[in-house]
Amino acid sequence: MTERVVVVEDDVWLAEHYLRVLRRAGYEAYHAAHALGAIDVIDDVRPHAVLLDVLLTGTTALALLHELRSHPDLADIPIVLATNLADQISLEDVESYGVKRILDKATMHPEDVVAAVRTVIQ
Amino acid sequence: MSRNGSPTNDSGVNRVSAVAVAAHELKSPLVLLRQLSLELAANDLSESERQQVVEQMTHVAEKAIRLTSDLTRAESQSTLFELAPVNPLDVARDVRSELDRLYKAHGRKLKVARIRHLPPVIANRDLLRRILLNFADNALHYGDIDGVVELQAQLIGERSTVRLSVRDFGPHMPIKHWRKLTSTLEQSQPVHARPQSSGLGLYISNQFATAMGGRIGAIRHQDGASFYVELPVSHQLSLL
Repeated sequence: MTERVVVVEDDVWLAEHYLRVLRRAGYEAYHAAHALGAIDVIDDVRPHAVLLDVLLTGTTALALLHELRSHPDLADIPIVLATNLADQISLEDVESYGVKRILDKATMHPEDVVAAVRTVIQ
Repeated sequence: MSRNGSPTNDSGVNRVSAVAVAAHELKSPLVLLRQLSLELAANDLSESERQQVVEQMTHVAEKAIRLTSDLTRAESQSTLFELAPVNPLDVARDVRSELDRLYKAHGRKLKVARIRHLPPVIANRDLLRRILLNFADNALHYGDIDGVVELQAQLIGERSTVRLSVRDFGPHMPIKHWRKLTSTLEQSQPVHARPQSSGLGLYISNQFATAMGGRIGAIRHQDGASFYVELPVSHQLSLL
């Protein structure tokens, strides 16, 4: 079975980049541009992991994480944060929201996205 | 800045904030450029994907250059801006032409609303153009992916002022976010108004509008937002 990943990223071209990288690695990848749309996509797709930007249009990733935790059937989906704010967020502070990995957009490589998703799904 | 280019809001706090916002906003395009260049280097792309990525990299670099150019100009306190009667619709059309390729690359459309009998305004053509470029660039990243962005104009204040707006259609902005944005606009501070790009753009736009004796503002709609600049009407023609 092909594993599914939802990418929540409001920079469309960066999102397209993630989708290409994940699809090349064999994942089914879906995109939501903002938190409100992400809930619907996640509900439809039931992904094995979510790749999530922190500073989103309209609301923050934290609101989305709260929302996901409030639904028992979505609460256990592992989250990978990919953010420009990686130096300001500790994994300990966000682990309770299901965040398993934090990627620093400024230093990560495309293969790091695949590696992080693979790790959190295992 | 005042109309003659002298600073009116030059506190150390604002300057530090401007630098912080500038650093943050320039980081985003650089991060994207780096990711795309790493992807290109990996050589896993088809020819059409490669062409698309190269085009995106060009647009991202151009945006970063625009931002740094505007920031340099906004911070240049000794510059005197020449003001003259300017046709605001001509400037709006220039902006539409200038951003046409960028909007098409995003699969979006920027259009100028049909308006008749709009008088010239007292402005510096280049500064007005840069304000509208900032607003339109912001709207591109904020509005619905398939949505249209519209450049609008109207006469207000008993026909003494022209309001030029960039109207986007997107998610409803939370009121808490909106209050922060509007209060910061009033204080002429840079702001992380929206995640993509607008904080520094608004700060710069505010500097430019003030330099022309105008002001900027924003209106929250149920389905998006309008960011506008107001400029005084030129009465030169009525004196002839």
